[in-house]
Amino acid sequence: MKVVLRNPRREVEMPGPLTVSALLERLDVNPESVLVIQGDTLVTRDARLSDTDVIEIRPVTSGGAT
Amino acid sequence: MKCRVCRAPAVLDIRRHNAAFCRDHFLKHCAEQVRRSIKDHDMISAGERVVVAVSGGKDSLALWDMLIGLGYDADGLYLGLGIGEYSDASGHTARVFAHERGLKLHEVDLAGEFGYDIPGAAAATHRAPCGACGLSKRHLFNAVAIEHGYDVVATGHNLDDEAAVLLGNVLRWETGYLGRQHPVLPEAPGFARKVKPLYRLGERETAAYCVLRGLDYQVEECPMAEGNRHLGYKDVLNALEDRSAGAKAAFVFGFVDRAHERFTDDAGAEREGLGACVVCRSPTTGDVCAFCRLRERVASRSGPSR
Repeated sequence: MKVVLRNPRREVEMPGPLTVSALLERLDVNPESVLVIQGDTLVTRDARLSDTDVIEIRPVTSGGAT
Repeated sequence: MKCRVCRAPAVLDIRRHNAAFCRDHFLKHCAEQVRRSIKDHDMISAGERVVVAVSGGKDSLALWDMLIGLGYDADGLYLGLGIGEYSDASGHTARVFAHERGLKLHEVDLAGEFGYDIPGAAAATHRAPCGACGLSKRHLFNAVAIEHGYDVVATGHNLDDEAAVLLGNVLRWETGYLGRQHPVLPEAPGFARKVKPLYRLGERETAAYCVLRGLDYQVEECPMAEGNRHLGYKDVLNALEDRSAGAKAAFVFGFVDRAHERFTDDAGAEREGLGACVVCRSPTTGDVCAFCRLRERVASRSGPSR
């Protein structure tokens, strides 16, 4: 599957099938800090991702001034 | 996973609630958390006018959208910080959001109206840009609210923001800051009321809200915030949350419910004896407020050389 990451924007290929939890673990991404978007749909951590999916891992952490 | 409410396929799981939601019930969950925050802390009364501090990011747009959805009279305020393409994109996003919904958006451009931008202020003061940014925002959000007669300034601070600020304040035992860290900072002479209706929602939730509502928000992070202390605290807190779901909420809600009042005297003492800034008339403890001192400092560094 193609996995799109941000900040900085980059793409990596990962073999499927995988669950969202397993994908994040392999990429060493804390699930608390991202949304996972399959196509244009949000998916939960138990969702199964196939080899042909395009997955966006979108960070949600903002660090602006308070 | 199934939606906790209707058992339809879920789109988002929230571990601290040990729950997952479908789109519609997640949006209801968000609105309910905001409605509860407003009610529990008397943030906004009927008929009051609200100005939302809008950055173009997920939190402020989600907040504005939810306040309008809940029926509040809420306009927006965008502050042009002059951070290159990042500011260009975030300003565009805020304008499009307001235009598409027929909402009023005030705009203040730091460079155009006050002669400096955030990169310039950071260079002139030799300090982290977030310091000048936060100072400018706090001053101008309040000043615009007072000038235009708004009762309330609403900011998009979420649960993660509050947890990170709280951790920083506790690590240094900033008792005055702890006394002021609350979902509501009451109005006072020269100050509009400041409220944080999103403090019960994590930033994963505000981002998901935007995605599910189709709100186009600025996803890219502010380039000046990269590596700052606030982000470091969030990393630590997310590591804790991953091990112990609910840790952030327990930290913040426990502080608000059981510890905040122990520090209010320290914060109150700082508000006593405020006078008017000789330059801009804003409340200040000295002759010249911190915002005007910042402007003077930047101007003195960037003035014409001989």
